[in-house]
Amino acid sequence: MISRADSAPKEYKKSLPGITPLSKPFWQASTQHRFLLQKCGRCSTFQWYPKAWCVECGSRDLKWTEASGLGQLYSFTVIREVVQNSPAFEEDIPYVLAEIDLDEGPRFVAQLKDVKPEEARIGMRVKVAFVDATPEISIPKFERENL
Amino acid sequence: MLSKKIAVVGYGQTPFSRANETRGEQKLNTSQYMAWAAELALENASLTKKDLDDQGLATVRTMQSPAFWGCEVAENLGITPKMTITTDHGGASPITMLVQSAYALNAGDVDYVLCLAADAPQTVGLVHAPLEGYRRDFMSPFGVMSPNSTFAMAFRRHVLQYGTKPEHTGKIAVTQRKHANLNPGAYFYKQPLSMEDYFRARGIAEPFRILDCVMPVNGGAAFVVTTEEKAKKITDKPVYVSGFGACDNYYHGSRLTPDITYMGMHLASRRAFEMANLKINDLDFFQPYDDYTIAVLMQLEEVGFCEKGKSGDFVEKTDLSYTGTLPLNTGGGQLSCGQPGLAGGMVNLLEGIRQLRGEGGERQVKNCRIGMVTGLGSIQYARHIGHYASLILSSGA
Repeated sequence: MISRADSAPKEYKKSLPGITPLSKPFWQASTQHRFLLQKCGRCSTFQWYPKAWCVECGSRDLKWTEASGLGQLYSFTVIREVVQNSPAFEEDIPYVLAEIDLDEGPRFVAQLKDVKPEEARIGMRVKVAFVDATPEISIPKFERENL
Repeated sequence: MLSKKIAVVGYGQTPFSRANETRGEQKLNTSQYMAWAAELALENASLTKKDLDDQGLATVRTMQSPAFWGCEVAENLGITPKMTITTDHGGASPITMLVQSAYALNAGDVDYVLCLAADAPQTVGLVHAPLEGYRRDFMSPFGVMSPNSTFAMAFRRHVLQYGTKPEHTGKIAVTQRKHANLNPGAYFYKQPLSMEDYFRARGIAEPFRILDCVMPVNGGAAFVVTTEEKAKKITDKPVYVSGFGACDNYYHGSRLTPDITYMGMHLASRRAFEMANLKINDLDFFQPYDDYTIAVLMQLEEVGFCEKGKSGDFVEKTDLSYTGTLPLNTGGGQLSCGQPGLAGGMVNLLEGIRQLRGEGGERQVKNCRIGMVTGLGSIQYARHIGHYASLILSSGA
């Protein structure tokens, strides 16, 4: 294993999620840039964020399933100021925060990557792009589907 | 339903503060604001601390409230209630506190309930994420910046689906500021705001400008609730609970991809109208919870002042001032009074009580007898509000 101090990722200072028994598979896959959603074994509904039973049918038979990571913008906001969050987000400002309707069904909230505020459009097609935060966590952002 | 008539018989509100020492403002904490508000409300109701033993104490849970909050508040006040109620509905908590108190009074469990709410976000700091749960795990790390982000996205959908314009949200901000300029208790008292000022305001979470969003302040407020029989002995200006309704965790349309231009307030307010046996035309004022200008527009639609999506046209054509056809947030609302953290809903509720007692000062709505107050609380993932509460108050039994 080659390790060079100057190429090591700098310390990640933004807010981090806690890893819970419920969310652990999602974060484990995130480090390999695989995007998983819970899928109901009974009614086949995909859901997000991780929950203990299917919000449609109430089945606890949920399986973490690889998803396409594709979707489209339902709405978005241009963040110009850090409010009630980590000051480290300053480096991203201004940025686009979006609600994305994933192709599998659920709505997902994430930052857009490499999309300027004036370029964001409702209906815009996007795909997941993980940003490595710590050895245990990569945070999903979304970028244009057709780069 | 209630078989007895329940009334608010006294209330009090502390000055609001940014804890800005250069303005000569004190830096107090939540328990200090609670004691101050309790003192004001008890005085107003001609009661003393001693009258609270073996009675009810209702409090609002704030972002900083630990478990066992009700007993901590009782301990800090040195009282021994027969019953404590702690409401955990965010901005809807003041209304749910009143409703839960009304049920306890209706059942005859207690004769009085002191309802108390205070918060001091300017002293303790705004908590950016709780110790666990979806906000810590799936909102903050993903770049969500407070409820501003969430409501901004609802605003953008409202613009897209219905053609709502910044002139419409601006009219809410400007009208409410005019009211605040007649309210010595408002943080922005004597600080006029024009439409030009609104348009010049900086973007914070676009399409929101800073003037679309509430400003946090420290503060406390309280009121005393009792039955009609006792109320008449305490005051000649009781304010009666005519009806209420609530709705929690509402989705419009699909659970996975709901239409976020809708709220659950149409259900909550319909329930309130049914209980009160009143109609929208019976309302002499409307004090909607106003964390954001767009939340006011959406509630005008939800309660039924106009059709869904038509609130922009409606506010353009309607005089919303205290002398107008629909007096709206006549004290300036939270947008111009400031939002005392999770006690914010008290701003709208106490203004409703003041108006019905004829204590609105320069902004008094003439001959008002019946009015609606609403509460909104919690921010759900990828949606907006979680708790909706609607309350109809009246000056007559």
